[in-house]
Amino acid sequence: MKKTSIIYSFNTVKTAQAAKMIIESFGDQDLEALNAEDITGEKFLKNKNLILGVATWFDGELPNYWDEFIPELEELNLKGYKVALFGPGDQKNYPENFVDGIGILGSLLEERGAVIVGFTSAEGYKFEKSRALRGDKFMGLALDFENQASKNKERIRNWVEQLRKEFP
Amino acid sequence: MSQTSKYHIKKTDKETLGKWFRLLTLGRALDDRAPNYLKQAIGWSYHAPYAGHDGIQLAIGQVFEKNKDYLFPYYRDMLTALSAGMSATEIILNGISKATDPTSGGRHMSNHFSKREWNIETFSSCTGSHSLHAVGVARAIKKYKAEGVSICSMGESAVSEGYVYEAINGASRERLPVIFVFQDNGYGISVPKKDQTANRKVADNFSGFKNLKIFHCNGKDVFDSMNVLSEAKEYVKTTGNPAIVQANCVRIHSHSNSDRHELYRDDMERNYVAEYDPLAKFRRMLLRYKRFTSEELEAIENETREIIKEAHRTAMSAPDPDPKTVFDFLVPEAYTAARYPDGTHNHKGEPKKFIEALNETLKAEFRLNPDTFIWGQDIANKEKGGIFNVTKGMQKEFGIERVFNAPIAEDFIVGTANGMSRFSDKIRIVIEGAEFADYFWPAMEQLVNTSHEYWRSNGQFSPNITIRLASGGYIGGGLYHSQTIEGALTTLPGIRVVYPSFADDAAGLLRTSIRSKGTTVFLEPKALYNDPRAATPIPDDFEVPFGKARVRMEGDDLAIITYGNTTIFSLEAAEKLKKEHGVTTRVLDLRSLNPLDEEAIIDTVKRTGKVLVVHEDKVFGGFGGEVVSLINEKAFEYLDAPVKRVGSLFTPVGFNRALERTILPDTEKIYKAAEELLKY
Repeated sequence: MKKTSIIYSFNTVKTAQAAKMIIESFGDQDLEALNAEDITGEKFLKNKNLILGVATWFDGELPNYWDEFIPELEELNLKGYKVALFGPGDQKNYPENFVDGIGILGSLLEERGAVIVGFTSAEGYKFEKSRALRGDKFMGLALDFENQASKNKERIRNWVEQLRKEFP
Repeated sequence: MSQTSKYHIKKTDKETLGKWFRLLTLGRALDDRAPNYLKQAIGWSYHAPYAGHDGIQLAIGQVFEKNKDYLFPYYRDMLTALSAGMSATEIILNGISKATDPTSGGRHMSNHFSKREWNIETFSSCTGSHSLHAVGVARAIKKYKAEGVSICSMGESAVSEGYVYEAINGASRERLPVIFVFQDNGYGISVPKKDQTANRKVADNFSGFKNLKIFHCNGKDVFDSMNVLSEAKEYVKTTGNPAIVQANCVRIHSHSNSDRHELYRDDMERNYVAEYDPLAKFRRMLLRYKRFTSEELEAIENETREIIKEAHRTAMSAPDPDPKTVFDFLVPEAYTAARYPDGTHNHKGEPKKFIEALNETLKAEFRLNPDTFIWGQDIANKEKGGIFNVTKGMQKEFGIERVFNAPIAEDFIVGTANGMSRFSDKIRIVIEGAEFADYFWPAMEQLVNTSHEYWRSNGQFSPNITIRLASGGYIGGGLYHSQTIEGALTTLPGIRVVYPSFADDAAGLLRTSIRSKGTTVFLEPKALYNDPRAATPIPDDFEVPFGKARVRMEGDDLAIITYGNTTIFSLEAAEKLKKEHGVTTRVLDLRSLNPLDEEAIIDTVKRTGKVLVVHEDKVFGGFGGEVVSLINEKAFEYLDAPVKRVGSLFTPVGFNRALERTILPDTEKIYKAAEELLKY
């Protein structure tokens, strides 16, 4: 597996906690952690394998740190990049926009030529709508710290195993 | 924001970005400063901070075109008002209630910003009620084929109000150019939106409404708000259909200065919303994408500080409203009935029924004035013209554009009349407020609102409406077809209430009502529509001024002061008194309850010394109590006996005729009461 960047906001709680668990699960694999709060196009393009942490804010929005990067992202050529996304979501209190952030960011990255990897089954979750949903799969890993925290470890472990195969 | 968006951090010209930053900074500085006025006991006791709504409020003001569009803000819309062109001085003048406050001259509550000369409309504190006004003015925009759209802004919790659904349903059904903007900050004071609506995005509750397009945007983000609102306006202008823009906002502070959000929002939540400070985000974007330097932004920030200092100085030195002016602009100017200054005539001719008088007067006024409109439930369908056929033939003669049905939604009927009035002073609207006066209660919210408009706007806006209501009992109608509601209506300052008993007075008062500015509630004793006792000859041009009672019978021994159905009974009782006792009775028909002819009442007391006040409504709480009080205060020394009252019992009106007879006053009850009074 090539050198991989893991980009998330270092100021967050749940997203950062998930990122640390992902880094641990990769074990010896060297992931380069970058802070999404000060991401630039140059930093973003550094490694061709990317793992992005993206929470969903309010009723289905990107967090500021990603939203403010979008105008720059819109001009990047991401052909040859493989991107995996993970994000926290609360399926019980926000069932109408569960992990929308994954879907919003994932779609933008696809438009720029990136290939999204790390799709996961939506089975085992109960929600109404999600922009992250493609068919019966999420465009990444959905982690529900509020309602299914006990499943996070296993979900991360399985996802990391999947990424090892899908990342070149 | 995407690369194809109209507004984009990389594409929008620097001048526009600078203007936006200046407005955002100025607005926020005012928003933060407003509570200080209360702390220093200067005023501004109500302030609903907008911080967190910055993107959408900037956008509303920017897409609004003065004198072409109509803007209906709500009490959190400070930045909307600034962005639409109001100055910092004007905002502070409203905040601290100065005489030069453009909204109301210090009469209306702070944080209710309007500027009528630009069509930034005056609005009530009654959340969401302006949605009906926005629909009403959009109806006029469409009928008069004018340019422009109506923009109505409100919080997401206002959408819980039933009349907002009536408004959106009406706009959708009539295909009217309205943009409803829902500024969703998640709370109605302390009530979270999960307690307001099943859909978190309340706009989605309207997804089944035909002809209505729903847009969503991030109301915290300047570019998303500008792009979506511009798109929505373009859609409304090109299709003529309404739209909803749901703007997701945050409320960074408490609901208002009387609220403490730390009582129901924890630190985490408050930090979370503060994290998304729209102004801070916009500033970061300007720097990140190198559209402005820090120095340039600081220069703008310094400039706005100076603007506010100057605005503060100017507003503080402005005069306070003069307490002597409290009666100014209470009731708009009435038509002067110059031909019949006391509202009487000597016309001889064939008597006409009450209902004919109404129908013919309406038609005559509609022929005279092309800017007249009438709507109501059941008002126009082929041969039918209202539940009692008062408007028969009107749609045929004047067409569906001027004479049309309304949905079974009384508040909508009144609220859209208020709104349509805003389009032009020339417009005169007649509405059947409800099928029966009994069903008018749902419209009371709009009536109260309408009654305030002229006073509240310091004379800038007069809703020119005649509200016709088929009133009273004696038809075996039971609890909900017998009510006479003048007792409640006359408690409202700012509207006129008239209640004729005879065909000629009905014609004369209706003509005067339609030609006048302001709102007149025109109560029709429906039992008399076809009653030959109420039929009279009527001059074609008859007019009755407001506040002029009419002596229907002269007499010296006793007086009966009355109106509506009971005028007929009182005259019959008077005849019987003459026949049985040889006494003469003066019967004074008030005709107009507000304004009230105090002079005629006092004169009547002076002439007779004994007074019976009679009306159909309940004695307890009825309008007669006001008449008696007036006599006690101003004519007590002329009384030879206590003033007696006759009216209905303090019960609802029963359906069985025996119950109805027991409850309502009639000739015999008046006669007996008069006999007792004569014996005193």
